[in-house]
Amino acid sequence: MTGGLSDLGVLTGRELRRYARDRAYWVGQIVFPLAFVAFVGFGLNDVIRLPSGTSYVGHLATGLLAMLVGSGAVGGGFSLIEDRSSGFLRALLVAPVSRAHLVLAKLCARVLVSLVLVAGLGVLLASFTPVRIRDPFAALFSVTAITSIFVALGVALAARLRRLESFRLVAALVTVPFYLFSGIFYPVSTLPAPTRWIAQCNPLTYGVDLLRYALLGVNELPLLRSYALLAVLTVLSVFVAVWSFDRGTRG
Amino acid sequence: MARSSTNTAVEAVGLVKRYGDREALAGIDLAVPRGACFGLLGPNGAGKSTTVGVLTTLITPTAGSATLLGHDVVRERAAVRRNLGVVFQESALDPELTAREQLVLHARLFHLESPAARAADWIDRLGLGEHADRPVRALSGGLRRRVEIARGLLNRPGVLFLDEPTTGLDVAARARIWEELRALRRGGDTTIFLTTHSMEEADALCDEVAIVDAGRIVAAGSPEALKAELGGDVVTLVLERPELAAEALAAQTGVRSVVLEAADGPDKAGALRVTVSDGTRRLAGLLDCAREAGVVEVDLRRPTLEHVFLHHTGHAFEDAP
Repeated sequence: MTGGLSDLGVLTGRELRRYARDRAYWVGQIVFPLAFVAFVGFGLNDVIRLPSGTSYVGHLATGLLAMLVGSGAVGGGFSLIEDRSSGFLRALLVAPVSRAHLVLAKLCARVLVSLVLVAGLGVLLASFTPVRIRDPFAALFSVTAITSIFVALGVALAARLRRLESFRLVAALVTVPFYLFSGIFYPVSTLPAPTRWIAQCNPLTYGVDLLRYALLGVNELPLLRSYALLAVLTVLSVFVAVWSFDRGTRG
Repeated sequence: MARSSTNTAVEAVGLVKRYGDREALAGIDLAVPRGACFGLLGPNGAGKSTTVGVLTTLITPTAGSATLLGHDVVRERAAVRRNLGVVFQESALDPELTAREQLVLHARLFHLESPAARAADWIDRLGLGEHADRPVRALSGGLRRRVEIARGLLNRPGVLFLDEPTTGLDVAARARIWEELRALRRGGDTTIFLTTHSMEEADALCDEVAIVDAGRIVAAGSPEALKAELGGDVVTLVLERPELAAEALAAQTGVRSVVLEAADGPDKAGALRVTVSDGTRRLAGLLDCAREAGVVEVDLRRPTLEHVFLHHTGHAFEDAP
């Protein structure tokens, strides 16, 4: 068991080291949401009135953070394809390490990166929007859940797609509907009936709502239901990720 | 299941791997003695990498079984992996990490003591000192291969697999890798299992080879024994009066046949083609015997593994399907 935990630590450390070295990645991840909130959020702030009474700029900022966490997490699958094409994956597969630890390391590293991003952007956004870290536990919970669900999605796609180009395209096609029907841009309650139903079947809706509660103090959906659903989906996602990876690496 | 004996490092019995209709391995049998340098020799696409894939637990065989140091490669994967070192044909390094980081990472995954010291030791042994802290993507092909060899040896594996270790390297880098592999053989009890499509490489490094063609082993043994099976070395003597020496040469020990080749040129000199076992040692005797016939020219050709391949498959190495 300690051996397993130490493997997980070693592999997570490697993933984090790769993220830490990719400066362009961090610049993009910080500049894009700030610019989007500043230009689009403030532009629409006086145009859009929300039922909850909060400002649109806060709504959009929290939604974008959730989207950033989700799209970054799908990149967990992207890094798997990178490992495969660099050949490094094979070196790991012949090492005495369990397949589960290889995937869990990607997940853990991604959760940590997501938390750092949300904390950092949260502080920056606090200077010009109503975003504050009001409930750290809800923030931690929602970020971990969104990350796990999207890492699982990314790994499941990566197990089937061998080329980086096809992964990028398919990942975008698959994830965009999640973002559009999740309350990232507009509150779910303002959507017309059929779209609202789709949104209610979308796990991201609950993650976005919980993150919004953590950072703005407002929520549309019952908190307990969001916590329960996300907890179940997170556990399920971990299994899906491990299973997909195992299937994808069998020769 | 046949349990491999303690003197066998790698054993395969009837390994078959099918991908749809294509049969990559059509029944491979192998037995590699412990401590040997074993070469799996064959043209591209013969099934060498698939065999290595099965033996290193990456590929599940369709039929047949294999063991590595007595551990079944399908049912005891964890035990097999603990005893493995693998240098893949294509680079298998993380391009973003430095050579040192890769080695430390692997030392940790094998739960070795003092990983940093272990990595430093191998960096030193393979002469990677000044390149150790550069990201792998900035290293040349030869240096990368050395990093991979260092990684393969880090855990003192029972068996080190090298899949085409010098393919794509320039002559100098290749010579360096050969030197390191020879040093490794002198230094320890690691069994080396290498695949190559270079006859020269197999001849230079291996004490046991198996020749694979179209997913089957067509011949196996020491390079010397395989070549000896072809009947020995060929000594060609160009003589002033070849007819004088032919009979005496045929009576010499080790001589299998003497063939008179047509005289060419105005001086009426002719060539005798003498097939003899252990030609290098018997050459002096043959020359003594032919002295009276007037020796003009001598040529000694040893059969190569190329000839062995041709003999067993009926087609030249490059013409493999």
